[in-house]
Amino acid sequence: MPEPLLEVRNLSVAYLTETADVRAVDRVSFTVAPGEFLGIVGESGCGKSTLLFGVAQLLSPPGEVVGGDVIFRGEDMVRLGPDDLRHMRWRDFSIVMQSAMNALNPMKSIEAQFKDTLEAHGTLSHEEIQQRSAEVLEMVGIDPIHLGSYPHQLSGGMRQRAMIAMALLFTPQLVMMDEPTSALDVVAQRSLMTKVKDLQQSLGFAIIFVTHDMSVVSRYSDHVMVMYAGQIAEAARTESIFTRPLHPYTRGLMSAFPSVTGPRRELVGIPGAPPDLARPPTGCRFNPRCPDVMPECLTQDPELYVVGDAEVRCLLYAKQTKKAM
Amino acid sequence: MGADGNSDRTVADEPLIRTVDLTRHFGLGGLFAKKQVLHAVDDFNLTIHENEIVALVGESGSGKSTVARMLARVYPPTRGEIYYRGRLLNKLRSRKDLLWYRGEVAMVFQDPFSALNPVFRVSHGVTRNLALHRPDVRRDQRRREAERVFESVGLNAKMLRRFPYEMSGGERQRVGFAQALAVRPKLILADEPVSMLDVSIRAGVLNMMSNLRDQEGVSILYITHDLASARYVADRVLVMYAGHLVEEGPTETILGDPKHPYTQLLLSAVAESRQDAESISGDTGEPPKVINPSEGCRFRWRCPYAIEKCSQVTPRPTPIGSRQVACHVAVAQAEANSAAVPTAPITNT
Repeated sequence: MPEPLLEVRNLSVAYLTETADVRAVDRVSFTVAPGEFLGIVGESGCGKSTLLFGVAQLLSPPGEVVGGDVIFRGEDMVRLGPDDLRHMRWRDFSIVMQSAMNALNPMKSIEAQFKDTLEAHGTLSHEEIQQRSAEVLEMVGIDPIHLGSYPHQLSGGMRQRAMIAMALLFTPQLVMMDEPTSALDVVAQRSLMTKVKDLQQSLGFAIIFVTHDMSVVSRYSDHVMVMYAGQIAEAARTESIFTRPLHPYTRGLMSAFPSVTGPRRELVGIPGAPPDLARPPTGCRFNPRCPDVMPECLTQDPELYVVGDAEVRCLLYAKQTKKAM
Repeated sequence: MGADGNSDRTVADEPLIRTVDLTRHFGLGGLFAKKQVLHAVDDFNLTIHENEIVALVGESGSGKSTVARMLARVYPPTRGEIYYRGRLLNKLRSRKDLLWYRGEVAMVFQDPFSALNPVFRVSHGVTRNLALHRPDVRRDQRRREAERVFESVGLNAKMLRRFPYEMSGGERQRVGFAQALAVRPKLILADEPVSMLDVSIRAGVLNMMSNLRDQEGVSILYITHDLASARYVADRVLVMYAGHLVEEGPTETILGDPKHPYTQLLLSAVAESRQDAESISGDTGEPPKVINPSEGCRFRWRCPYAIEKCSQVTPRPTPIGSRQVACHVAVAQAEANSAAVPTAPITNT
């Protein structure tokens, strides 16, 4: 096994509010190997974006890392100061936000924003900056003529591509993406994903891809991690999670999708709604919605159990297997 | 569509709602700018029958919401007519007529988080609709009727007392449907009702829509960009591109064997499973903004099969079997094949 690029150990993030401390991410551990594509899937409010912010050290009060480590290339990012982090951002790891319209500065041209980023990490000449900006823009399939364009002059898909171009200015080893495709139409979404995968293969960076849409990751990711109520519900290789989902929640998610081919079948979905994290249910957090709920689920906290090459947080697998960590 | 434009049909064979060459243009630019006209919808023909869910599919900017807004009379069409049960919509002017129409056709909006007034309990919208549109329900019966409507969309009657912030997205969207249902509509215009909802909740709302059709006899215009959910609930599918209807027909016919290259592109973009990642075309385009368009097919810049005719003549929807397709190439192919054996469907159904 090669040295992991990123190792997250028991990371917990809480939002410290007046009434309660909401633990949005609860003891999450995972690793990302160089060049790997990890998909993180979950519904809104499951903590997936908070986890990403926790990894990138972008949390602002009241959000705070309350435990665990984020080891990136041997350094614990949780313990790094703002100056050290600033040197790493964009250069070593970058992040692509969900809504490019809000993430790009509406008052500046694309080139000016690229220039800001490039200048923050070294002094390049005007020509070098222009050359590199044009290069990355071409890489994501936008005509460099748009360097002079302002964000509002670009379509939604192009803005999102421009964001990805910006994340690739320094060819970082890790690119984190927070729902980059969810504001896009299906065709634009598919072509963006194909582009991202192509770039990943040619440049070799690792991707953490956060999404609520399982079908998006199914085709591109190496590993998938399903989150529910701040915890990992299931993590496995993409093939095995799609051919043999173990957690009742994962199974529910899969059967909640209608299909465009194959027989039409009744969709069941998952009854109920995700829990309020200020008051999570006792025992397994999925027990109020679980079709396979057992008496012990109401009282006993499930651990992550290893089943084959998968990890699953469900008491159904408690007896047959041993603990993951 | 010459034949369809005939307005003096009898009421008996009249569909629930029918549009004839529905067109909506928007003027762009300021006072001194050169006059630019955005063609949001051009010559759009749609029919919805009773007890039918029709999906209107297209990417953002294709004009599908504009169609819904014209049907809901948010704004009038630039050109073309809408017939509701044989009555011309433009002629409805009196308050009584408008109240009648709004009681027959209700709308459900995309965003359940901003469609409900946060300062009122959710019962407010339902009882207000009852007061306005249901004179047969006496004041003291409204409560019970509201409870019945709530239960028909799968909500607990006790939830009527809640405020919107006390409900989840899926519950709020059901409130949106309950408000629409309170007026006993024959047609619900649902503009992307599930796109803002989490996947685990979507299925419930989709199932509720087919229950409404089967049990309350409501027709639904289901506007979506999601072909898979359209296939799941809809009896018929209409595909729009850049303001034009490009393909229309029974759901399985269209999605099982799409004839229009745009429908094929849409379908290949959602085709699930991992196996065919390579089959995706390098297409990076998006629907164009149609400003002062010239004659010709609006898809031709992205179309792999475009021929010269496509840039000269705008294709009109032409019947091929049970469907209509607006594509010169597909129509020519169908004509060539009409003597021969029909081609096998591309995908299994």
